[in-house]
Amino acid sequence: MNPKRCAACKYLRRRCPKDCIFSPYFPPSDPDKFACIRRIYGAGNVSKMLQQLPVQTRAEAVESLSFEARCRIEDPVYGCVGIISLLQTQIQKTQTLLAKTQAEIAVCSNQT
Amino acid sequence: MGGPGSSSPCASCKLLRRRCAKDCIFAPYFPPDDPHKFAIVHKVFGASNVSKMLQELPVHQRADAVNSLVFEANARVRDPVYGCVGAISYLQNQVSQLQMQLAVAQAEILCIQMQHEQPLQSHHQVLELDQDEKALLLNNNNINNCNNDNNNLGYAMSSGQFNSNFASPSSIMQMQMQMQMQDPLKQESLWT
Repeated sequence: MNPKRCAACKYLRRRCPKDCIFSPYFPPSDPDKFACIRRIYGAGNVSKMLQQLPVQTRAEAVESLSFEARCRIEDPVYGCVGIISLLQTQIQKTQTLLAKTQAEIAVCSNQT
Repeated sequence: MGGPGSSSPCASCKLLRRRCAKDCIFAPYFPPDDPHKFAIVHKVFGASNVSKMLQELPVHQRADAVNSLVFEANARVRDPVYGCVGAISYLQNQVSQLQMQLAVAQAEILCIQMQHEQPLQSHHQVLELDQDEKALLLNNNNINNCNNDNNNLGYAMSSGQFNSNFASPSSIMQMQMQMQMQDPLKQESLWT
């Protein structure tokens, strides 16, 4: 067995070929990254997704998949959709407060 | 054969070309009249992964879980590189811009109020904020309490480095609890 197998091939207990699609993005020093992604998406799906992307975008895709997978593990019901909802709520509250503050400015300005 | 109350197989079993058992885990959430819903979830997550996820959840939470999985799958198909993370980054930028606008507006209010209270003081003194006024500016809304987490997430998104040393999902979830989030799936805008 190649001692320099990537984290994916180590996890899958297989040889890591020279052209392994996972190896640039799953170094053996970070086994959790692949484990999380595999748990949520499955190795086959991730491999297909990466194959369909241009090489220069694959690193970003793996990072976003990793983030979403971690979100889903931490929140099995809402995943990263919970974060989106939180941000939308935050935007609404800030917009309301901003409108209120701008109205106060208008009132104060009229009084001067 | 067929889902509860229905003689036809659910969308999942139709796609997977198998018998739809009475206790099919997918049947309540993937009706046969919406084949696209399961197709997209299967494409991104895989049927067996979805089945495992649902089995690990209490029954009353499965509908919400399915809806959030469908949302994520749609986002990933629309944007194969960033998926939902692209939306998070966009919203994070909006939050930052609004917070800046709010900070400016609050500073302006303070200046105006100070001018009303001390109209005869020099221009230089009126523009100075003491520690209490600075604290008021920074803490006047509870959103600023979460500013660090948001900024970390924003940095991670904009730099393209989704590094676990920056905002982690758990820190975001803590922020969520502080904000007393509304039920995310009842926000219409989220699902359109």
